[in-house]
Amino acid sequence: MAGNGIKSSRYEFDDTDRKILELLKANGRATNQKIARLLKISAATVSARIRQMEDAKAMKVVAATDFAAFGYNILIAIGVEVQGRPAEDVAKELARLPQILSINLVTGAKDIEILLAVQQFSELSDFLLNDIAAIKGVRSLSPAIAVDIVKFDFDIAPLS
Amino acid sequence: MSGSRYQLDAFDHQILEVLAGDARLSNRKIAQTLGVTEGTIRGRLKRLQEENYLRFTAITALSYLGNPLLVFIGVTAEQGRVKDVAQAIAEMAGIRSVIITLGRFNIHVVGMYGSLEEVLGVANNAILALPGVRHVETSISVKQLKYDSRLAKITRPFVPSDDDED
Repeated sequence: MAGNGIKSSRYEFDDTDRKILELLKANGRATNQKIARLLKISAATVSARIRQMEDAKAMKVVAATDFAAFGYNILIAIGVEVQGRPAEDVAKELARLPQILSINLVTGAKDIEILLAVQQFSELSDFLLNDIAAIKGVRSLSPAIAVDIVKFDFDIAPLS
Repeated sequence: MSGSRYQLDAFDHQILEVLAGDARLSNRKIAQTLGVTEGTIRGRLKRLQEENYLRFTAITALSYLGNPLLVFIGVTAEQGRVKDVAQAIAEMAGIRSVIITLGRFNIHVVGMYGSLEEVLGVANNAILALPGVRHVETSISVKQLKYDSRLAKITRPFVPSDDDED
């Protein structure tokens, strides 16, 4: 961080950026030439705008891969209760486990919400008896096993 | 999940790895990197998208949307109505994901809202009013520690594009 405080020069989207973004949401691999043609601007402008938006971490074009591509057939949303330790410390340790895809510290009856992905149920014994057992402060786990994913939008995310 | 679904091979995974670095890399560059023809890459990408393993999209940063509240909503509903309830919730404003589950509740919902007022409107009012809903448990994320934007569940149909590559 620079010494002049946290005055991060936040990138401001203009109309052209918004139009490019919309096209990229529909097809992240639309070529600069194609986008340029559709918006009646130059390909160089498209290229520069995409780079500016990505550099500012305002947006990112991704190759989003389905869980199943990695054989993750089982998804479990687990509510974690913490006891005798700051929940944030527990969450930081949980974050090191590769099977845990997302972690949120939350308000309410549970302290942490995690999304766990495994290839098969047999992996759960190692996860519970070794990985989780080694983390101090985990009082209980309340699972909800995914049986059908009705909706899963992923075009908004933290980018830092 | 049909039994005949195409299974990725090692080469598919190599392509995914290259794309993880830059999702907009041209087919030609991917082909050069992996030592194959451009047509091979084009064919593989087409199949991965058609089989719903892969989508190319632009992700907008949360911070550019005014850092909305990320809300988890656990819904308990009559078993016979779970599917209808889940579909109805999926149509509501701000809903990001809806997963039917077995366990602590019947439906796991994630939403994004600009204010508590909006949370009230969906979680406490709209969802609770659905026929068959027995209980709604809302918890709000106060800090997100981990999230992988490249891993997802692809639930929308693939819309092919004629000229995806240069």
